[in-house]
Amino acid sequence: MIPLSSRIERIARVEPGRRAIAEGERRIDYGTLWAQARAFAAFLRASGIDAGDRVAVILPNCIEAVVACHGCWLAGAAIVPLNAQARARDIAPWLRHCAARCVVYQAGHRDSELALEAIAEPILRVATGTSGVDGASIAWADALAAAAPSAPVEYQASDLAMILYTSGTTGAPKGVMLSHANLAANVDSIVRYLELGKDDSIVSVLPFYYSYGASVLHTHLSVGAFLVIEANLVFPHLMVETMARERVSGFSGVPSTFLLLLNRVPLANYDLSSLRYLTQAGGAMAPATAQRLREALPQARLYIMYGQTEATARLAWMPPERLDEKPGAVGMPIDGVELVVRRENGQPADVMEVGEVHARGPNVMLGYWRNPEATAAVLQDGWLRTGDMGHFDADGFLYLAGRRSDMIKTGAHRVHPKDVEEAIAELPWIAEVAVVGVDDDTLGQVIKAFVVTDAEHRSNANAIKAHCRERLAAYKIPKFIEFVDALPKTASGKIRRTQLTATTEPREVS
Amino acid sequence: MGLPAVCSVHAAASIHRGETKSMDQKKQIKAFVLENYLFTDDESALADGDSLIRDGIVDSTGMLELIGHLEETYAIKVENAEMIPANFDSIDSIAAFVARKSPA
Repeated sequence: MIPLSSRIERIARVEPGRRAIAEGERRIDYGTLWAQARAFAAFLRASGIDAGDRVAVILPNCIEAVVACHGCWLAGAAIVPLNAQARARDIAPWLRHCAARCVVYQAGHRDSELALEAIAEPILRVATGTSGVDGASIAWADALAAAAPSAPVEYQASDLAMILYTSGTTGAPKGVMLSHANLAANVDSIVRYLELGKDDSIVSVLPFYYSYGASVLHTHLSVGAFLVIEANLVFPHLMVETMARERVSGFSGVPSTFLLLLNRVPLANYDLSSLRYLTQAGGAMAPATAQRLREALPQARLYIMYGQTEATARLAWMPPERLDEKPGAVGMPIDGVELVVRRENGQPADVMEVGEVHARGPNVMLGYWRNPEATAAVLQDGWLRTGDMGHFDADGFLYLAGRRSDMIKTGAHRVHPKDVEEAIAELPWIAEVAVVGVDDDTLGQVIKAFVVTDAEHRSNANAIKAHCRERLAAYKIPKFIEFVDALPKTASGKIRRTQLTATTEPREVS
Repeated sequence: MGLPAVCSVHAAASIHRGETKSMDQKKQIKAFVLENYLFTDDESALADGDSLIRDGIVDSTGMLELIGHLEETYAIKVENAEMIPANFDSIDSIAAFVARKSPA
């Protein structure tokens, strides 16, 4: 196993001037990236951060987030990239749960500051940005200049490298623990099937704090490729302009990303002849959308992929040349991974028989951080229960058929209904609430809340949304709110979410 | 010599009308953003210079709705090349953009 940082070191040594990352006007080459990572590692060690300690990062995609990641690893620490769109309500419990000893955040980021104020234990605070660094924090530039680089800390392949939180405040947070070996194994498999090389380059819009975005970052940097960070997709044509200007060879997205490009940008007006590969994960893309994409960008090979954070990122990939033959399939296992579909009793399902997808391989997580119950529920006898339902065809291609859980997939985000329900239930006039995902042409699903309240508050949809805005990441705010007399329930009192999803058309009642 | 004075009075009145109009437009735009993206009528919830994009107030879909609303309400046409953060990132920048695009 060659750790990811060692790969950067090699590239930095052989070709220090090789371009690594662009972020707006800012650029960094591999030599400088490596030097900064070493400097950050030295700062961490000099500040008393020990091997195995957790360093949280609350940053949008930026150069500092990458430097901090490799700096952590060189210091023997584990990186905990937290969702920078989350509110203090989620951030503080995550910081507490992982017992972060250091936090890197954007100066002036209100929710980071509120969360840090709520933590009783001392935390080393490093603030990025050129202004607004308060007295309690060390400026990023000062941190990099604080200590002379020292020898990297030795670590084992099985050591914890990263924790990725997949849920918010509901119950015990679930932090996926990934080892250095997990990350390296998944990177190696992906690099192989995408045939990535140092001449590749990619526009990255997927957040590094999600497994897909992290995977795009690490696969490309590990081969010496060039990563162009785009801050957001608010103006999709600007991203396509970047793709054309930088003559990138790759682009990665979730289904909604590709729909935005297809529906909002006249792709034929741009010179995208350099595009060699497109990757899609993060939920099923309709075969018709895949077809449109291939027609709009015939020069690029489209890789449909499947995976989950608990498997570092990737479990299966679809060879582009088999797409026509297998529409709707998410592919076959990646190198090193075994996939089995099982019946409820644990027996392997027959071909074409739907069951739960189980996975085994070097990319499967160590477990959930400090959550043995949740770990035991998904890691059984050396296998990962994915929670995804699906079947194999006679040729060994996997097709998905929904999830066992109620998780809502909206754009690139995963939302647990309970997170939203708990926030709404904080309002004193809410009697009951249930949150579900309803189909949306672009985002896959959007969030809908069913609310039981008294007659006086039945027109208060905006008050609910405003409260959610205050308490939740923007993507968790319900798009639709419907006031109902009662929620459908089972005999034992459990809410019948499937009934709410199935029987109700999206309807704005605000 | 009276003519220029009359003209300047007209010009001043016209400027005044223009300012009033753009102030009204700015208020309307802010009310739309508050109502649709912040779900409130509390003007203090958003400063006119606050970034709508960086602060995650408006996403890609929201921006499309906002631009559609502006085109319809102020009878303007927003060209692709004009869809950039400089024109839409805050109430100030949107109001200035709409004022530039609106018929005098």
